[in-house]
Amino acid sequence: MFLFRKLVLGRPITILIFINLMFFGLLFLMVGPYDRSILVAGVLLTLLMVVCYYLIIKLDMGDQYIFLIISILTSLGVAMLYRLNPVYGFRQITWFGIAAVLYFMAYFLFRWIKLWDKGIYVYIAGSILLFVVTFAFGTTVKGATNWIRIGSFNFQPAEAIKLFFIFMLAAYFKYPEKLKNTYVFLGIVYLHIILLTLQRDMGMAMLFFGVFISIYYIYQTDIKLFLYNIAAAVTIGTFSYFTMNHVRVRFDTWLNPWKDIAGRGYQITQSLFAIAAGGFFGSGLGLGTPGYIPEVHTDFIFSAICEELGIFGGIAVVLLYFIMIYRGFKITLMINEPFTKVVALGITLTYSYQTFIIIGGVIKLIPLTGVTLPFVSYGGSSLISAFVAFGILQALSKKSLEGEEFVELEQR
Amino acid sequence: MVTILSWIVRYIFIAMIYYFIYSIIRLIYLDIQQINMRGRNQDYPYLKLINRKDRLGFVVQEFYDLRENETTIGRGKENDIQILDKYISTQHSKLTVDEGAYFLEDLGSVNGTYLNSVKLQDVAEVKNGDRIGIGQVEFLFVKEVD
Repeated sequence: MFLFRKLVLGRPITILIFINLMFFGLLFLMVGPYDRSILVAGVLLTLLMVVCYYLIIKLDMGDQYIFLIISILTSLGVAMLYRLNPVYGFRQITWFGIAAVLYFMAYFLFRWIKLWDKGIYVYIAGSILLFVVTFAFGTTVKGATNWIRIGSFNFQPAEAIKLFFIFMLAAYFKYPEKLKNTYVFLGIVYLHIILLTLQRDMGMAMLFFGVFISIYYIYQTDIKLFLYNIAAAVTIGTFSYFTMNHVRVRFDTWLNPWKDIAGRGYQITQSLFAIAAGGFFGSGLGLGTPGYIPEVHTDFIFSAICEELGIFGGIAVVLLYFIMIYRGFKITLMINEPFTKVVALGITLTYSYQTFIIIGGVIKLIPLTGVTLPFVSYGGSSLISAFVAFGILQALSKKSLEGEEFVELEQR
Repeated sequence: MVTILSWIVRYIFIAMIYYFIYSIIRLIYLDIQQINMRGRNQDYPYLKLINRKDRLGFVVQEFYDLRENETTIGRGKENDIQILDKYISTQHSKLTVDEGAYFLEDLGSVNGTYLNSVKLQDVAEVKNGDRIGIGQVEFLFVKEVD
């Protein structure tokens, strides 16, 4: 018992290792005729997380909890994907490997290059270019034209635009005079949102607007303009409800999915059935039937977690996001420089709204829109962009700590 | 067989993940406590903790204000600054004021008192920015210049 306490409960990283070994041991026994590759994959994943964690501590890269939290979310996602379909699980581990490298690259690049706050035109041009490329070469997947196919894999440009958008907002609030006046800025913001709406990517449009309006509320002194923005959003929402069929379908299935269970309400009702089947402690990993839910490996992975690990498991996932977001706000509060402050706030808000939109969607709290659950859902581009964003947040946490040291030196 | 294992694993998993959350929420609690301490009176010199609090297995504050004449540090509860570290003696060391200057003195502790990583032999004057090491903890001595 003492050994257990010392080895497992001692530090958060050992808990992570223990959970991973437990999951992959179980998956090894469960999936197929004792497939060794699962054990290898599990050990590789755990090893990669441990190495990254120790690198963060050894190189003194600031906040050490962000990476722990995101790795426990990722390993939960990988375990769940392995259980749903081993092919997805294995690919997700590959993506995690690439994403972990990019996490460190984002950290170092963000610290080395000092010109981030001056490139507002670059950010605007970058996101417009990505939009144009999407419209020109995009493929339509499940009703939304937001994928670009390169070779054999699909890539979602909106994930990259998300980062451009945050940087654009931050650069604007640092040097507002670079854009002629606030109306030009608003025009650019609404251009993003309208282009996303035209791609029929309602979740992303909601996400962008949420991030924008929150940051605008914090930094804009003119309350009237803020209210106009709210009014504009309501107008766009009502307008799209009456003109676009898929928006109306989403809204109607949110109000009453039971009317058309076999058709339009199929996704959401299956998700609710799965959550209800789980009960308090779930059916156990591998014993539920999440296969009935459509898109279970991306948008609806939260329902699968709720079914197999119970509502306690689901609440644990939500709490993990809470802690992650708390760390983000903590870092934001410790920064004084306006550009980096808005970047930190923007990243935190983006991922908190994204989590809210998708979890709220699958439990029928808000109309369902397709965004991925950060770090847990299957998907290369969403995992990579999330890791890059949190790599930047890691760099900012280091900066904020350095700021404190600077104050100390002044006191001497 | 797998079914039973899976049942066990889900309970263990839920327990573990909540323990993980608990261990991080504990850190959040320590963080918030630190924010409250910032509103302290800045006139007196004070000791600021350098260690990361979560690595230590005992309660230690982020800041300690010094008393007017002398401040004693140790594990016993009669000390002005009581730290329940097992490497700290009951009466460990003392900070005294003499004509505006601060002196650090070791009270015959087992593990010694360190000033800027050098073991203290007798009495030594501490200046603003000096590091005082006692047991497992290390403090920064801060005295604002008027």
